[in-house]
Amino acid sequence: MQSYEIAFECPLPLGLHARPASLVSETAARFAATTILIKEPDGSSADAKSVLALIALEVRRGDRCVLRIAGEDAAAAHAALRALVLKTLPQADAPLPPPPAAMQVPRALRIPGVTWRAGTPASPGIGQGIVVLLGGPVLPAHIPGPAISRSEEERRARGGLAAVRAALAARLQARPDALEAGILAAQLAMARDTALESRILARVESGSSAAQAVADTGTYFAARFRAAESALVRERAVDIEDVCAQMLEAIQGSPLAAAAPAALPAAAIVVAGTLAPRQLLALDRQHLCGLVLEHAGTTSHAVILARSFGIPTLTGVADARACVRAGGEAIVDADAGLLICNLVPEARRHYDRRRWALARRHERLTQSAQRPAVTRDGRPLEVAASVSTREEIGVAFAHGADGIGLFRTEMLFMDRDSPPSEDEQAAIYAEAARLAAGRTVIIRTLDVGGDKPLSYLGLPPEKNPFLGIRGVRLYPAHRDLVAAQLRAILRASSAGRVWMLLPMVSHLEEVRWVKEQIGAAQRELQAAGVAFAAEMPLGVMLEVPAAALLVDQLSDEVGFFSIGTNDLAQYLFAADRGDDRLAGVSDVRHPAFLRLLVRVVRDVHARGRWVGLCGEMARSRRDLPLLLGLGLDEISAAAPEIPAIKAAVAGHSAAACAALLAQATACKSAAEVEALQAAFHPAGPARALVDPELVVLESDSATKEEVIAEIANGFFAAERCDDPQAVEEAVWAREAVYATGLGHGFAVPHCRTDAVTADSIGVVRLAQPIPWQSLDEEPVRCVILLAIRASDAEEVHLRILALLARRLMHAEFRERLLGAPDREAVLQCLHAELGLVDAPS
Amino acid sequence: VKIVAVTACATGIAHTYMAAEQLQKTARALGHEIKIETQGSMGIENELSPQDIREADVALFAVDISVEQSERFRGKRIVQVPVHEAIKNPKAVFEKLRS
Repeated sequence: MQSYEIAFECPLPLGLHARPASLVSETAARFAATTILIKEPDGSSADAKSVLALIALEVRRGDRCVLRIAGEDAAAAHAALRALVLKTLPQADAPLPPPPAAMQVPRALRIPGVTWRAGTPASPGIGQGIVVLLGGPVLPAHIPGPAISRSEEERRARGGLAAVRAALAARLQARPDALEAGILAAQLAMARDTALESRILARVESGSSAAQAVADTGTYFAARFRAAESALVRERAVDIEDVCAQMLEAIQGSPLAAAAPAALPAAAIVVAGTLAPRQLLALDRQHLCGLVLEHAGTTSHAVILARSFGIPTLTGVADARACVRAGGEAIVDADAGLLICNLVPEARRHYDRRRWALARRHERLTQSAQRPAVTRDGRPLEVAASVSTREEIGVAFAHGADGIGLFRTEMLFMDRDSPPSEDEQAAIYAEAARLAAGRTVIIRTLDVGGDKPLSYLGLPPEKNPFLGIRGVRLYPAHRDLVAAQLRAILRASSAGRVWMLLPMVSHLEEVRWVKEQIGAAQRELQAAGVAFAAEMPLGVMLEVPAAALLVDQLSDEVGFFSIGTNDLAQYLFAADRGDDRLAGVSDVRHPAFLRLLVRVVRDVHARGRWVGLCGEMARSRRDLPLLLGLGLDEISAAAPEIPAIKAAVAGHSAAACAALLAQATACKSAAEVEALQAAFHPAGPARALVDPELVVLESDSATKEEVIAEIANGFFAAERCDDPQAVEEAVWAREAVYATGLGHGFAVPHCRTDAVTADSIGVVRLAQPIPWQSLDEEPVRCVILLAIRASDAEEVHLRILALLARRLMHAEFRERLLGAPDREAVLQCLHAELGLVDAPS
Repeated sequence: VKIVAVTACATGIAHTYMAAEQLQKTARALGHEIKIETQGSMGIENELSPQDIREADVALFAVDISVEQSERFRGKRIVQVPVHEAIKNPKAVFEKLRS
């Protein structure tokens, strides 16, 4: 019998964690030879066929190891394992998870008594409520009932193992989506693991009941994993517990104590290690105000569900369960990435104000979104919605969409065994047209391919689906499917303004082919006496660079274009946008991409055609000036983004945006473009220096930090700044020079910052005077905050502020401000003394 | 006493003008003659002329930053205080001018 050894140093930055360990164990298991991994530093060893044993060995980067292989097929095993260990393993590691987003605890909460934890925002919003702790799968420490007999307990243990393996395999057979399949496969590998089985059977051998042996084994491996240095190994602890819990349920024939509570309090913050999708679905969503998970990435199933329900969610909050108290109150600030673990009055006040400001701003934005978006210098831009379902259409128009810029029809074709019928499609498209009430609905024909396969099309797997048979390329092989959709869209065109958009076009001939099919569909409808619009505009998506370079010729065939930035960038730079290692290679801010856009828009408009843009770039506030500079006719983004985009358009000047774009296309890298963008701070629409909304008569702020935050928050609510923390920081930077308490109970904190979009004065009178390191060391009763734009403050505003500063030196003026009975009186006092002419807005 | 003064603070929004107002008010009460130039967010205002400076007994700088065009005051006796001194305790500032 031959034996071999492979000596190596562990090359993996995170050590031999679950995924590489499973590569080793799967390879070893293909051979009869015994394979032992020895960790040289401490001489410990593990059966290399057992992924659990390998993980529990805790091999770290740089550890010297030996694989010892012996048995009849040892030569073949040696060859396979040698290739794996020396070639595959060094590349087996996933890139390190990105660091959590930049996070800052509000200054007002940097006080003793407030405990907080940072997390990764996974679904935005702020939730406040009673903490409910949810356990993952719970393995009992002691299971009542002695072992019946060794043989009976062994029979039960083997039965439990078999049952769980069969159940997991059956769920995998049921074709779950890729994410769930990955989780199930990992759990199945654990259930089949030899170390798991031999440890359970050894416990039974030494007298335990089968149930106790399973519980002990699960607890043993989970404890080993939790003690590991690698986060990836620690996260597997929940999986082994879940597998053993399922085994226990199979042996006992009854479910374990429910992990979900029977009922949630009226407003609940659920804090858990991890959460299975079924656990989340079991919770009463009416009462669920926030979700905090210690583990789980932003793409785990439970998190995806939480996002679709609009539940503020944080993940990766280490030790969350240890720092909150069940039954206590907590706040999930998923905008800032913060869990506030306890509710001191300052925290309650801070978030009450924050929620008020968000609601107020939302109300303002939604109101103004009902009007068309026009730049300050009078250039209109249609802001339309991209949707995938008919339910989103009503939502889109409620948010002020000027039309539906992209109706992706794929969703209608997915998750079913046969395509939707022509009638079914026609009803949905016609309803969309009716809901649009005269506004345009751009319906994109089916865009599927190897990356989004439909089971009933029987598409063969492709080596590289993004470069394969996608979109319009698929149509000639599926004529009936295409004809039905074309007829359905044509029928809907009689119900409103419907335009038809073709995906993935790269050749003129593809458009001509579809036009022939449209002609045939029109003749069929005519023959059947079915109504349709004679002149329905046809357009093409510009997502393949070839099509973008053919705009002049395509203009002879079609009436409009829609730029799909995600795919166009991916194809222009030849970089897979789903691959993290290529992040930054495909970049919509790269001058090469911007130059292509400039060319496309110029060519389209030279031919008198219409061009819109959809994709991630359309929702980016930072990229909006570039898009305005392009002179697009429309941009299309998700419905909830529309009010903020429209408000932002109103703050820009098209001329300044065109100048910015010209500079950007001359840059040499995306980083240079980003530097330009960072220095571009347009003023918002012209606003009065002060308005009633910015006056607070009796504030309950208790500290300087709170007052400054209160005023910045007020600016945010009034759409005078987008980032109140940036205003606060500018004020604090000034405050660091020396405190702005004037004496006589007044303070005038101030700053010059482009974080405000309009010069603004905030006035707050305090119910209780607060310390301010004033010149006369008296506490402050009235705070007047002056925020002036750094780059283009209005001369007239500077004059008024200078006058205000002078007036504050006079006792009569101060007394009038303190004594004014209401907001209007405060404003009148300012108006009278300062000669303000602009009326409160 | 006949005084020329310059006020200037870090941001030029508030304290420049507060100090000017406070000095003006106090000078009137004390019976001094004063002309105050502000160097703030709107640039130089109420600019001191060579004649103003020539005729003054003393120059007062209530500033936190360097004075622009300070060469105008060459050869003049200059008393400099931080801006907040002029706001907090203007009488003491005028006391300093005497010595």
